Amino acid sequence: MSKKYLFLQRSQAGNRQQPSPAQMQDVYAAFNAWKEKFKDDILDMGGKLMPGGTVVTTTGATDGPFVEAKEIVGGYMFVSADSIERAIEVAREMPMLMPGATIEIREVAGP
Amino acid sequence: MSSKSDDGPAAVVAPGLVDQFFRHEYGRLVAVLTRTVGVRHLDVVEDAVQGALLTALTSWTAQGVPRDPGAWLYRVAYNSLIDALRRNTSRRRILARAVDSVAQGSHDLPPSYFAGEVADDTLRMLFICCDDTIPRESQLVFALKTLCGFSIAEIALRLFTSEANVYKRLARARDRLREMAPEIETPPLETLKSRLPSVQAVLYLLFNEGYLSSQAEAAIRRELCDDAVRLTTLLAEHPIGAVPETFALLALMHLHAARLGARRDARGGLLLLEEQDRSLWDRERMQMGADWLERSATGDVFSRFHAEAGIAAEHCFAPSFEHTRWKEIADLYAMLERIDPSPLHEMNRAVAVAEWQGPDAGLAVLDAVVPPAWLVGSYLWDAVLGDLHRRAGNLEIAQRHRDRALASAPTEAVQALLRRRLVIAT
Repeated sequence: MSKKYLFLQRSQAGNRQQPSPAQMQDVYAAFNAWKEKFKDDILDMGGKLMPGGTVVTTTGATDGPFVEAKEIVGGYMFVSADSIERAIEVAREMPMLMPGATIEIREVAGP
Repeated sequence: MSSKSDDGPAAVVAPGLVDQFFRHEYGRLVAVLTRTVGVRHLDVVEDAVQGALLTALTSWTAQGVPRDPGAWLYRVAYNSLIDALRRNTSRRRILARAVDSVAQGSHDLPPSYFAGEVADDTLRMLFICCDDTIPRESQLVFALKTLCGFSIAEIALRLFTSEANVYKRLARARDRLREMAPEIETPPLETLKSRLPSVQAVLYLLFNEGYLSSQAEAAIRRELCDDAVRLTTLLAEHPIGAVPETFALLALMHLHAARLGARRDARGGLLLLEEQDRSLWDRERMQMGADWLERSATGDVFSRFHAEAGIAAEHCFAPSFEHTRWKEIADLYAMLERIDPSPLHEMNRAVAVAEWQGPDAGLAVLDAVVPPAWLVGSYLWDAVLGDLHRRAGNLEIAQRHRDRALASAPTEAVQALLRRRLVIAT
């Protein structure tokens, strides 16, 4: 039975090395090719997250950071896969928008 | 253009977007928005445009391309630009009010133009950066960055220089533009006209950087040629730029570009003109070149672009290497030499004369040239001398020049070509 995985895209905050327009064009094409290749696995393309955020605790609400000061979670996506290995395969081939970006994969529990 | 894929592997196709969409939109948006808020805010404008493209990248990959991607990008870039200017000027009331008055204007329609202004923002930007006080090399780098959308690293790669050097040249142009009083941003018609030669020169340089390259990475350099043609076409269609010199420049570009695809063999090695398969030349481009050349043949100025386009046309329309009209080419080089004296033109004339009247006549032309140090040190000079002496039977002298040419050849592709050309029978 296939399981549902959450992909969290993380990148380094303050990463000054931005892609050039020509690189963006390449990434865009590569990303669409990737989407096409794994179209049966991708449940929901998800979206981009706004930078910054608020953490609510029992003592009140504070601004981030969430994981580490240097990291920001940039986007999310839902993928269906038989196993974590397959989910890793899907993630591995995903073209990265920013150099040094990573994807955290979490299995979604329950139905 | 039908011969796009001749160099290197085909680029990955971006669904829903035309080739080079991001790069061209970058240039267009920077030009439009700079016009709206002024050249002194160029840094903020470039950040806003870069941000908008990044937003598009993430948003469009997830949701698909909007119906009018250009308008979408304009809106996002415009809003983020206005936000950034508000933040920057929050404590400076007067400026803030100025921003508000801009922001109250239309969000979707680029602003209207005053009479006599360059009504195309990209061209307008080109005229602004061709200010006399900015050095030519800085003008070129600035045009590549802001109008063609290349990054510093990409420009360095294309101009064969260091990133630090590119950055320095760019900073010089930016510093000057930042100092400009707002009224300099709308130069009067007379100033625009006086800058036309500079604008043509930058476009010519842009094209040559792409065309004269003998580097391995042909595909990326081809983009420079394509951009130069695109911008020169804009210029040729604009009242200020629609003069015979611009038409000749455009003819020259098309006629050279038509032969680009046949300059390399299957393995990427360079081919001599006489080795090229003429059936690979792009007929459509040749026709476009011929059309522009015809349009350029008016008025009483015979510019260097006319001479160069004429030479390119002779090569393009010759049925074969043997049947090339070498006398016409030699004459055109002589005219070019009169308009724009350079030992390089004399050297090229010598080559044409040698084909026309034999190697000794070619050598006689070179005898009259006193080559400057930069030419003596270049492989071209030795290669031409080596070839002519070889054909004249002066094998010892030929050998000496051959060795020197091989030693100073810039790339392996050029070396391989020279080895083939300068074979000395023993």
